[in-house]
Amino acid sequence: MASLIAAQVVNGLMIGMLYALTAFGLSIIKGLLNVPNFAHGAFYAFGAYVCFAAHKVGLPFALALALSFVVPALLGVVIEKFGLTRLMQAPYLYQLLFLFGAALVMEQLIIIIWGAEGLSMSPPDVFQGAFDLGFTVVPRYLVFNGLMAGLTIVAVYLLIERTRFGSQIRAGIDKREMAQCLGVDIGRLITAGFGLGAGLAGFSGGLVLPLLGATATMGNDMMSIAFVVLVIGGLGSIYGAIAAGLLIGVIQSVSTVFVPAASTVLIYVVMVVTLMVRPQGLFGER
Amino acid sequence: MAHSLELSRRHLLQAGAATLGSSLAGITWAQGKADTLTMGVLSQQTGTFAYAGELVLKGAKLALEERNAQILGRKINLVVRDDEGKPAVGVRRLTEAITADSLRFFAGNFSSAVGLAQLEVAQQEKVFQYAAGGSEDFTGARCSPNTFQWSAHAYTALRATLEYVSKAMPDKKKIYTITADYAFGQSLLHYTKVAAKELGLELLGNDNHPSGERQFTQYFTKALSTKPDLICLLTAGADAVTAVRQFNSFGAKTVQLVGPWTLEVDQLKELSPQMRAGLVLGLNYYQDIDTPVNKTFVERYRKAYQSVPSYASAYGYDSFRTILLAMERAKSVEVAAVIKTMEGMQFDSIFGPTSIDARTHQTVRPYFVVKCKEESAMKSEFDFATIVAEGSKPQPLELNECKRKV
Repeated sequence: MASLIAAQVVNGLMIGMLYALTAFGLSIIKGLLNVPNFAHGAFYAFGAYVCFAAHKVGLPFALALALSFVVPALLGVVIEKFGLTRLMQAPYLYQLLFLFGAALVMEQLIIIIWGAEGLSMSPPDVFQGAFDLGFTVVPRYLVFNGLMAGLTIVAVYLLIERTRFGSQIRAGIDKREMAQCLGVDIGRLITAGFGLGAGLAGFSGGLVLPLLGATATMGNDMMSIAFVVLVIGGLGSIYGAIAAGLLIGVIQSVSTVFVPAASTVLIYVVMVVTLMVRPQGLFGER
Repeated sequence: MAHSLELSRRHLLQAGAATLGSSLAGITWAQGKADTLTMGVLSQQTGTFAYAGELVLKGAKLALEERNAQILGRKINLVVRDDEGKPAVGVRRLTEAITADSLRFFAGNFSSAVGLAQLEVAQQEKVFQYAAGGSEDFTGARCSPNTFQWSAHAYTALRATLEYVSKAMPDKKKIYTITADYAFGQSLLHYTKVAAKELGLELLGNDNHPSGERQFTQYFTKALSTKPDLICLLTAGADAVTAVRQFNSFGAKTVQLVGPWTLEVDQLKELSPQMRAGLVLGLNYYQDIDTPVNKTFVERYRKAYQSVPSYASAYGYDSFRTILLAMERAKSVEVAAVIKTMEGMQFDSIFGPTSIDARTHQTVRPYFVVKCKEESAMKSEFDFATIVAEGSKPQPLELNECKRKV
């Protein structure tokens, strides 16, 4: 039993890193715009399709994966610059509706371009098979996923904590008016932050492609988990999303040992309990 | 107040007109004076399973074209309704089609949940339903005089699939099951236990997964820890596709993945050849069935749609073809006469010699076991698998819950 639980913890950490990465991008946009990005799932799906298309035309997997970040990020910049910016002074609801509409348009575009049937891509040869840890086996590609998600989070952490751009993002999230007074171009910052968040969503989609495949509506599945992670971690807390992502991954995986049919509902139970006990989330501030 | 009264009068007039209209339609039908017969396809035209509705319709159209859309001197009027895969919508659409279009015969539904909801309406309105889907309730606890079941029984499916496995892989005896936590999955699990016991296979354990699950690595981690010879996926649709993808990532070559009612040809396209190679699947239909009726069907389907038929399109074609055949034999298009003829009817279908159980209304037909091909062995983009076995053992009588008597 102990080895089975240990196996599920390992599996859960790998899955959790992916949840963390997706919620991380959502958290950045939520922090900057103070609007939950309803199009985050669509960027995630778009990233998966970009990765598929790039690999299909013969590009190496690494390049396809890089494009799954770049293309959704650029699309995010366009959507923010030519759509959201115009609604900045409008009530909150208009921005939400705009993002919701953008998500629907992206979903339909995916269907028009790639069709309604799901698509699959096998992992590169080097990631075929599994690592035998003695007490369990872990698919190599799942480990690669976890590591890539972890490395990406570290890279974005360094970008946010150690660069001028990052300090401006933090200032934009924490004290927007003050940052503006100090000459920070908040408009440009929001555009860049939105692009970064969209790129991270797309990159997550590209990463999970060999495991989950690609469907136009795959973003809806991820969105619900990403929002749960965001709420548990604390709305606006960028790093809370990482801890909560790992927590949810481990809970989902370990619960399979005891109550497999309830593994999904448990995630929502944890969210409800968190909201009741600590409404600001594990790492959020009141 | 006057305004309110005026509205009430208007409503009364409208209601009266509607009642009169539907009564007249009923009289016309009852007297058999109409020169048209309305048949319908009720399935998903929108939503996640939109592809299925379109395929059922394609098949049904081919069956009508074979007879120039006529039967016993009547012109057949085909109505199509979209139930969006939702039971409540399915019931509403069926009721509308019965009252507005005088629908008397319909193929519906590709989804068990919607089909079972429509079963009550079919019985109440005395219209003919030819259903598909995996639920055993159609011919079991909820069997109805007006509903027939086209898909194989879950027992037949499990028995055929596991019998093949036990013969082709005699050293593989230990099974772990991963089951969808809804009626369809539980029904498959029930008959897996029955068939495994009959065939001397050992069930190591089972995990139920919620519908819409997108993460299966934890289930496989647990299943593989029990050292099974076979993992039986008792799930379907997008969940099954995701599960196969993720099982593939484990590279567990010594464990055979088996899907007794898991993936149809439409979903096989969603998997890369590498992911599906070697997979053992049970299927309600496969294009290579070697019978005269099926060969003609496949040829005509290819010509019409530049594709090969699948479960959904075969259901549309064969259900319509069978209803029309029964009308011809009954020399009548009255629902009661057609039902009476179909009970116990023996005929050649796409499956070859086929019959219909008079009491349960189960179409007694074979179930097919296929093994998916390596990419190098595929002769065309549609050449997914080889039929390796078929079985048609019916559900044991003592396990059937249908209370109808013939």
